Amino acid sequence: MNPPDLRALQQGDEAAWDAAFGWLWPTVFAVAQLKLHPFLPDEVEDVAIEALEEMVDKVRSVKSLDELKPLAASIAHHRAVSRLRNRFAQKRGSGKTESLDAPTDEDRNHSEPVSEESLLAKLDQAELACLLRDLQRNLKPEWRAVVGDYFMSAMSQREIASQRGLPIGTVGVYLRRAQEAIRKAVERQPKLLKELEAFLR
Amino acid sequence: MNSMNVNDERFFDLAMKVIARQASDAEHAELDALLAREPELRAEFARLQADVRVAKDALPLVNAMETTGGEFPAYARERLQTKVRQTLGRPAAKKEPDRSFAWGLRWWLGLAVATAVVMLVVLPMFRPPTSPTIQLAMLESGGTRGSATDEVALLKQTWQTTVVHSFSDAEALRAWETNPADERRQPTVKIIYDATAGEVRVLGRWKEKPLDKTFLVERDLATTLKLVKDYVAEQTKR
Repeated sequence: MNPPDLRALQQGDEAAWDAAFGWLWPTVFAVAQLKLHPFLPDEVEDVAIEALEEMVDKVRSVKSLDELKPLAASIAHHRAVSRLRNRFAQKRGSGKTESLDAPTDEDRNHSEPVSEESLLAKLDQAELACLLRDLQRNLKPEWRAVVGDYFMSAMSQREIASQRGLPIGTVGVYLRRAQEAIRKAVERQPKLLKELEAFLR
Repeated sequence: MNSMNVNDERFFDLAMKVIARQASDAEHAELDALLAREPELRAEFARLQADVRVAKDALPLVNAMETTGGEFPAYARERLQTKVRQTLGRPAAKKEPDRSFAWGLRWWLGLAVATAVVMLVVLPMFRPPTSPTIQLAMLESGGTRGSATDEVALLKQTWQTTVVHSFSDAEALRAWETNPADERRQPTVKIIYDATAGEVRVLGRWKEKPLDKTFLVERDLATTLKLVKDYVAEQTKR
């Protein structure tokens, strides 16, 4: 699907927005699903639609087309986290004892449960969008894939090399390159850097 | 990467394995020994933990941005398009003013203004005056200057005017009395106080009727002027 025309979006063009909704939908839905699927799977679509609604509010602050998806992802992330927090607060308030921190192992592989330690939730929408755009630009897809395999899917370097058809030394190099790019991206986000320093103490 | 020495590479490899919970006991022990030997690496180890933390939080979102699957639900379209209209409300294309109408309006306004000017300025010229113009003059006698001044003031006061033509020469006064230019412009009644003769003359024309009467100053000028004023009012009433 082709990206929409940003200027037409900012002018409220109906056809441009139809295109934008289709183009942004996979992003907002995937982000909402990452956060909500283990706990509130029925609300994924609702949050994704709300994120698109908020995009309408924010579109005039967008300066270039490549800011759209990071902003949409950022909005969807924050809305999902907010939805989880509200639901947790309600459940605690009503005295229910159901554990909301017990997603399945499979769920854990796909999402991070919301917690007070969520670093990204401490960034505002624009900061998170900026970080995501930075990471998307500077982390090659193959580096990201290796990082995901290693840290989130708990695959060994040997397993990754085998599965992706890479020399095992290349897996190590990809990990190193990814880590360096992430550190640079974090260093460009003063608030995140501050949070990390607090996290490390 | 190229600047990393073998120890750095080993430290990074061990740190990654420990952070990913994939290190063996032996590798754990090796990292601990390395950190004990080089305490400055502890800070770097902590930073690597933080980097991984960010990666685990953020990379799924980055990957989500590149997802292409999934179809936008049709039922949400109207709700979102309504939001677009309410928020961005494509401003109604600015309606081009109808130039012919605008010019027509201007033309009619101009005509109205011109007509008003004509009504105010030109028409009164053709409207019959409701009263004649009163012109005052005085032929001074050879008496005291202060007396003449009082008489001029009395004339002005009686007809509420500021102009009294003063003559010391009878011929000049006569020329003024008979000047036809005044009469051509509009009906005029001339009132002349001849101090030497002790009389007030009324000359002029009103609605084709001539006015020509002389009032003698018998008691005092004020009384005579009142009689003159009454006469003129009577002769020029509508």
